[in-house]
Amino acid sequence: MIIWVTIGLSVTAMGILAVFFTAVLGWANRAFHVPVDPRIEACVEALPGANCGGCGFVGCREYAAAVVCDAEPVDRCVVGGQACAEALAAIMGVDPTPSLPYRPVVHCGAHTADRLLRAPYHGEPTCAAANLVNGVQGCTYGCLGFGDCQRACQFDAIHVIDGLATVDYTRCVGCGACARACPRNIITMAPFKAERILAVACSNKDSGKDVQRVCKVGCIGCKTCQRTCSLFTVKDNLPSIDYDAYCPDDLGDAIRAMEKCPRHRIVVVGKPSAKDLAALGDEALPDVVTPDFKTTVDDTEWRG
Amino acid sequence: MTYLIDILLIALGAALINNFIFYYFVGICPFIGVSRRVEMAFGMGCAVTFVMTIAAAISWTMTRFVLMPGAPLTQWIAGWWLDPQTAAGVDLSILSYIVYIFAIAASVQFVEMYLRRFFPLLYRSFGVFLPLITTNCAILFACLTIMSRLVGVDDPAARWDLGQALVLAIFGGLGFTLAIVIMAGIREELEACDVPTPFRGAPIALIVGGILAMAFMGFTGVDNGLKTALTPPAVVAQAPPTEPPSGAPTP
Repeated sequence: MIIWVTIGLSVTAMGILAVFFTAVLGWANRAFHVPVDPRIEACVEALPGANCGGCGFVGCREYAAAVVCDAEPVDRCVVGGQACAEALAAIMGVDPTPSLPYRPVVHCGAHTADRLLRAPYHGEPTCAAANLVNGVQGCTYGCLGFGDCQRACQFDAIHVIDGLATVDYTRCVGCGACARACPRNIITMAPFKAERILAVACSNKDSGKDVQRVCKVGCIGCKTCQRTCSLFTVKDNLPSIDYDAYCPDDLGDAIRAMEKCPRHRIVVVGKPSAKDLAALGDEALPDVVTPDFKTTVDDTEWRG
Repeated sequence: MTYLIDILLIALGAALINNFIFYYFVGICPFIGVSRRVEMAFGMGCAVTFVMTIAAAISWTMTRFVLMPGAPLTQWIAGWWLDPQTAAGVDLSILSYIVYIFAIAASVQFVEMYLRRFFPLLYRSFGVFLPLITTNCAILFACLTIMSRLVGVDDPAARWDLGQALVLAIFGGLGFTLAIVIMAGIREELEACDVPTPFRGAPIALIVGGILAMAFMGFTGVDNGLKTALTPPAVVAQAPPTEPPSGAPTP
């Protein structure tokens, strides 16, 4: 008997509390109602919802609010690209400005075998930690290969392959998380005026002699590219490409410079060309592996 | 008079001597998360104080009249079906946690709606930390402290009344505000300091919090001293005139 009375009283007490709080909160909801601009909801719908932060805001909702309330440009979303910018422009009633897709370019081309003067490193296996230590490898500019960019990427689009961060441009959406994660700042966001563009795959600013001591492939600052093509400017022993003047249809001089480069540091990056795909066509594709919770390694950074 | 002294000691204890953050280490997540700027920290402190007061009032009322063993309302209703002796055994204190969380969550919802309407800037800067007050252990801690002064206290005169419960909540909230504002002030200065890379962000904040807690430990024992100093001497005069055993301090 006592148990039933206890249960009955408990249920009644909770029920009365629930009714009381429902009444109070229901009243507060109407009394403190905030009108929200319906365009914000429409913008959130039009955005991809990746919440990657590539636009410079915390998430898609914050960017949508900024577009509606603070007249922020509509072309900031790198994931949605041109289609998303047009959708936002239609909602806001403004003209969409053409926006180029920005994609990351890794300014290093050395794989493990190309790097010299490497020392055994037993510390925390992250680039941020290894970058604090002097002498992990000879080159103080190049990719460390511990994969901070790989862990930062939400889209599985950058991988450390044989000690070098390599972008998978078929998956990349250009959010820039890898560029922010790289402690050596060798990943930059470049405007892709075509599917495949030229890039300089080295970041070493030391003189040619010092570069040859630490790397088999690094740029030695010989200025051949600068003499061959006006797109290249060598500063601090390192060429850079003027992407504003870059025209994908007229690359004669630049292609010649690429062929002349003694270290082959001017490379083509971007989505795989038809030729690359044909070359891969003969190789057997690995089976698609389904994740297994018993064998999949947790990607948390701390493994101490 | 004794009641006033009691209130004073509860207030001082909650705000300074047994500060929720620096003595009991409850409510650490807003303490670290929202202590970047002083005005945000002050807003958070006010929100926590408000929620704590509401939650303390509701939980005291519920505990005193419904939940504790022998609570009048429960006794009266149980008396309809049971004889008085069995009715005294009805114990609803099993519900205490769920009722407290319920009260806290509802008051947080209320504060959130209020802030969203009247302080949109503060609302935006709080972000996720405002709903997180729901799971702020400092508030549940205040409710549980009040419960411990009601349930299991045999002497009816020693049970806390609503005034004591509210004083604990308000001054506990003020202590929380004080702690988080001091912390925010220090962290604003830290922004300009050359902190070694591995210590930046949360680690240096935790270290600063620990040093602050050590400073607040200096208040330990002040409440006992105050109690002795404020107790009317008449009570001392009535003490037995025999000499206490030498060297043995009376607790």
